[in-house]
Amino acid sequence: MAGISLDNLSFKYPGAQDATLSKLNLNIANGEAHALLGASGAGKTTLLNILSGLLRPTGGVLRFDDLDVSNQQGRERNVAQVFQFPVLYESLTVAENLAFPLKTKKLQSKVITQRLDYICSELELDELRSVKPAKLSLFQKQLVAVGKALVRPDVSLVLLDEPLTAVEPRVKWRLRQTLRRVQADLKVTMIYVTHDQTEALTFADRVSVLTAGGILQTGTPEEVYASPEHEFVGHFVGSPGMNFLPANALGVADAERVGFRPEWATLTGNQPSSAQKRGHLHGSVLRIRVQGAKAGKPFGLVTMATSQGEIAIRGYIPDTSITAGDSLGVCVHRCIGYTNELKVSDIEFL
Amino acid sequence: MLELSNICLRSSDSVPFIHTFAAGEISVVLGANQSGKTDLCRLVAGLNTRASGNVCLVGTSLDRVSPRRRPVSMVYQAFVNYPNLTVFDNIASPMRARKQSSQTIVQAVNDLAEKLRISELLGRFPHELSGGQQQRVAIARSLAKQAQVLLMDEPLVNLDFKLREALEVELRDLLRATNTVVIYTSSDPRDAFNLGDQLLLLADGEKVQTGTPLEVYQKPNSMVAMELLADPGINRFSRDGTSCALRPEHIGVQDGKITPAGLMSFDMLVTAYETNGDESFVHGQVEAQEWVMRSRGMLPVHAGQRLTVAAASQDVVHF
Repeated sequence: MAGISLDNLSFKYPGAQDATLSKLNLNIANGEAHALLGASGAGKTTLLNILSGLLRPTGGVLRFDDLDVSNQQGRERNVAQVFQFPVLYESLTVAENLAFPLKTKKLQSKVITQRLDYICSELELDELRSVKPAKLSLFQKQLVAVGKALVRPDVSLVLLDEPLTAVEPRVKWRLRQTLRRVQADLKVTMIYVTHDQTEALTFADRVSVLTAGGILQTGTPEEVYASPEHEFVGHFVGSPGMNFLPANALGVADAERVGFRPEWATLTGNQPSSAQKRGHLHGSVLRIRVQGAKAGKPFGLVTMATSQGEIAIRGYIPDTSITAGDSLGVCVHRCIGYTNELKVSDIEFL
Repeated sequence: MLELSNICLRSSDSVPFIHTFAAGEISVVLGANQSGKTDLCRLVAGLNTRASGNVCLVGTSLDRVSPRRRPVSMVYQAFVNYPNLTVFDNIASPMRARKQSSQTIVQAVNDLAEKLRISELLGRFPHELSGGQQQRVAIARSLAKQAQVLLMDEPLVNLDFKLREALEVELRDLLRATNTVVIYTSSDPRDAFNLGDQLLLLADGEKVQTGTPLEVYQKPNSMVAMELLADPGINRFSRDGTSCALRPEHIGVQDGKITPAGLMSFDMLVTAYETNGDESFVHGQVEAQEWVMRSRGMLPVHAGQRLTVAAASQDVVHF
C-alpha cells in the first residue's frame, strides 16, 4: 500500500490549447478511501490514466510514498483498476478469473490458493467459484472484477472508475458497502472516480471536487456538503444544488452572493411579512414536486420565483392546497456568503 | 389515448393484462430489470419482441400496421443518432421523410433546438457532442416526428447526475405541453415522482398496480408494489400475524425512552451508514430483518451502534 501525492501535477494533451489538468496538489494517505467527484470533462479520466501510468504528467510530480513515479511504467506501479463495466474472461470460472492476475505473476500455487480463499470469503464469493460470468448478474460480475483488483498481495493502489454505473440502483449500496468494508479491512488506498455525489460522499473518507482541470475543495463528506468552499461545489454537490442569490436578498452585507441548501429554508405560509427581515424572502410558487408523505403530511421540493432569482426549498409542504402561482414567504435559517465564488462567511439567522 | 389489451410481456403463462395510457400526460412504467418494460415499448412500436397483445390508438388497431407506419417514436437508453448527419439534419430527418416544406422544417428544428438548448450545436456532428448533448438531439428528433405516442426507454439512465437533474425538469415541462401519449420506462422510483402523472408498475411481465404516484405510494396493493416505489427498499415486520411494512423515510431516530402515543418503536442494530449530503441512509437489523432508514441531512451514526427508531402507526402498511 502507498500514500499518493500530487505536487503541482499538470497535464496537457499534445496540440491542445489548454491544460486538461493544471497544477493539482493533493495528498492521499496510505489506506485512505478517496473520491474524485466531478462532471464529465472535468479531467477525472485523465487523472486516473496518469495514476495508472497510461499517461505521463507534462508538469509536476506524482509520488507513491516518497518515490517519484511520474515517469515510471504502469506495470512497475502495482496499480489495480476496476472499470465502469465488469471486465472478466468469459470462458473462465469465477475462481479462474480471480486467480488470473496471480498466475501471470507466477506466484506459488499455495499462495494463490491462500489469496483466493481470502478474497472469496471477504467478498462472499465462495458459492460462485465454479460459475462462469455469463451466469452472473451485473452486481456479481462487478464484485468479481473488484476481487480481481484486490487479489494481488502487492497492490499499492486500487483505482475505481465509476464502478457502479452498470449495477441496478437498488443494489448499488450493497456493493458500495462491500467495497467500503473491504477497503477498511485491507487498508487499501483506493481512489474512486465518480460524477455521483452519493457514491462519493458515501464511499470516501475524503472527497475532492474536480472541475475544468482543477481541485476546488478537498474535505470530509460533511465539509464538502455543509460548507462548500466554492460556489461550484455547492452547486454540484446536492440534488438540487445550493440556491444562490445576491447577498442583499437576505440582508447580508459582507458578501456578494449567498448560498443556502434547499433544506436550510422553510416555507412560512401565505402572508409574506411586509418588513424586510434578515433571512426572510418571498416569492411565487413555480413547481411543486411531492416526493412522499409522512404521517399524512406531504413533503417534497417546492421551486419558487423570487424577485432576485429562482430557489428550491425542501421539506414538508405546509398547506396541501398551495399551487403554482401562489405567493409564499420563505425563512432561511442558515446561509454561506461568497465573494468571487469563494466562501467568505457562514451565517446563522435567529 | 392508447389502449393495450391481452398483453403478455414475457411468456404465455403470465396473466394477460389491459392498460390505457392517456394523451397529454407522462405515464411512468416502473419495474426492475427484466420486468418487461422494454418489451412493452417494442410491442407498441411494432418491433420484434417476445411480448404479445393488441395495441389500439384512439380506436384504431395498430396490430396490422407496420412499424414504420405507426405514429410512434422511441428514444432509447443508448444515444442513437445518424453519425453522418449534422445535428440539424438529425432533427430534421423525420420531417424530411414526410416531405414537409423546408420552411416548416427550419422553423420546427430551430424551435426544438431552442427548447432543448442545443441551438448552438446545430452544425455539429454527433461525435462532436457530449453524451448529454447527444441524448438531447435524440429527444429533439423523436419530438420532430410529432408522433402521437412517444416511447422513452430509460432515456436518462446513462447521463451524468447533474445533467440528468436538469434534463428531467426540462423534459417534464416540454412533454406536458404536447398532446402526446408519453410512456417513460424506468427502474428508479424517483423518476415516478419526478416525471410521472400516472404510474404503471410491472413485475415479471405482469401489471402490479396503476394510479398517480402519490396514490400508489400511499396505498400500495401489495408488498411488490410497495417495494417498487420504495427508495431504496422497504422494511418488513409482522404484528399479530399480519405482514406489515414501513417506508425508509417514515422511520426516524427516537429521542428518549418513552414512545409517544401514535408511534411504534423498534430496536435497530446499525450495519451501515451512507449519505449524499441531502439525505442519509441507515441500514440495520430489526427483528431479524434488514431495514433501512432514510433521513434528511447527515446523522452522527456509525455501524455497530444500537438505535431506537420510531414511526407513526398511520404510516405502517398492512398486508
